[in-house]
Amino acid sequence: MFLFYLESLMAVFPLFLKGLWMTVAISGLSLITATILGFLAGIGRSSGIKLLRYGIGFYVNLVRGTPFLVQIFVIFFILPEFGIHLEPFPAAIIAMTIMGGAFICEIVAAGMEAVPKGQREAAMSTGLSRYQQVRYVILPQAMRTILPPLVGQYVLLVKDSSIVSVIGVMDLTRVGWLTVQRIPEGMLVFGLVGIMYFAVCYPLIQLAARLEKRMSVGESRL
Amino acid sequence: MINFTNVNKWFGDLHVLRDINLNVAQGEVLVVCGPSGSGKSTLIRCINRLEQIQKGELIVDGMNVHDRKTNMTQLRAEIGFIFQQFNLYPHMTALGNITLAPMKVRKLKKEEAEKLGREILERVGLSDKVDSYPAQLSGGQQQRVAIARGLCMRPKIMLFDEPTSALDPEMIQEVLDVMVNLAKEGMTMIVVTHEMGFAREVAKRILFMDEGQIVEIAPPEEFFTKPKSERTKLFLSKILTH
Repeated sequence: MFLFYLESLMAVFPLFLKGLWMTVAISGLSLITATILGFLAGIGRSSGIKLLRYGIGFYVNLVRGTPFLVQIFVIFFILPEFGIHLEPFPAAIIAMTIMGGAFICEIVAAGMEAVPKGQREAAMSTGLSRYQQVRYVILPQAMRTILPPLVGQYVLLVKDSSIVSVIGVMDLTRVGWLTVQRIPEGMLVFGLVGIMYFAVCYPLIQLAARLEKRMSVGESRL
Repeated sequence: MINFTNVNKWFGDLHVLRDINLNVAQGEVLVVCGPSGSGKSTLIRCINRLEQIQKGELIVDGMNVHDRKTNMTQLRAEIGFIFQQFNLYPHMTALGNITLAPMKVRKLKKEEAEKLGREILERVGLSDKVDSYPAQLSGGQQQRVAIARGLCMRPKIMLFDEPTSALDPEMIQEVLDVMVNLAKEGMTMIVVTHEMGFAREVAKRILFMDEGQIVEIAPPEEFFTKPKSERTKLFLSKILTH
């Protein structure tokens, strides 16, 4: 029986590859957009404009205080009530961007805060504008602190992308879910799904670990 | 050049500057001393608005420092500020550190800025350290790069906040030498320091502060030989005996 299932699983294997591709596409795209949003928000959070700081703080807390599943439902099922209709794919990207952006914002803000305040004072004293202080002095130094957890966040983003299957995106998880209804060998089907996720995440985990190590070596040199 | 009129500053409940009235003329070297917590660092940090004042008026180079309309970037570009902890940018070479502001604020071309940077590094005796990173330099060398970074903006005023306090004793002189030269070239300087040898050599006046107030201000001769206030005498007896 097992062998039979294995054989039929092989028959639908191309579907899994398509699902994997969708997962990679969604996480890859939203990884880029979330990084842009997260950096902008993180830099904005350290700015002098109070309203902007509070606004960003509210956004981050809202995202951190609600389940991702609920965020997706809001975007996909509730926005149409207000006349905003989205296809599953763009809805997924938007949800992932908003969620990832909030966490990356926190990482960026923390990294910038870790730069000694004398650095900003020195830059300020030479007449650099706020933007120039961030661009040339603060951010390059903050990157050392930001990079390892940022890559860690990418791993989470890939895994969280599995949740977008609930709105009908044909990602890896959804392919697994549909397959298991025809081939009732959960262990086998979701084992394969798991392996495929792992294949995407593992290099990222390795990269994060390596960055972490390199950064800490660099730090002890200073 | 620098005018304090009834300047007051609080950190929360702490009254750190009390009714400061002070005039510093162009080309004058003023040394500020006093016990820790007396407000001497705060005094000079107000001049380029690293700290805000709450009351009074502070005019620097004709500009009202604490007026919202004042273009601070422009004013700060005219004031070099040297920190106790150097605060060099660790991710840039010595040359990178000192050419950043000339390129971004003064809009010099890269070659011009680097030419200027090399000249000024030579002036502080570091022409062989152009491509070194701060972590590869000694404390004294780092502080000299920091001074070069200030000078590279061709400032009208240089402020020094305990520039030698974080240095090993054998490195203090090399930094003081640079500062003495600067003073002799006619730079307007305010120096917070306890290096009384330096004060004696180049200061036009010495200011003694305690508890946020100016206790005494006098030319070096008078300051060291016949201080008026008891507080100054006590302070001098402590720092001059060793």
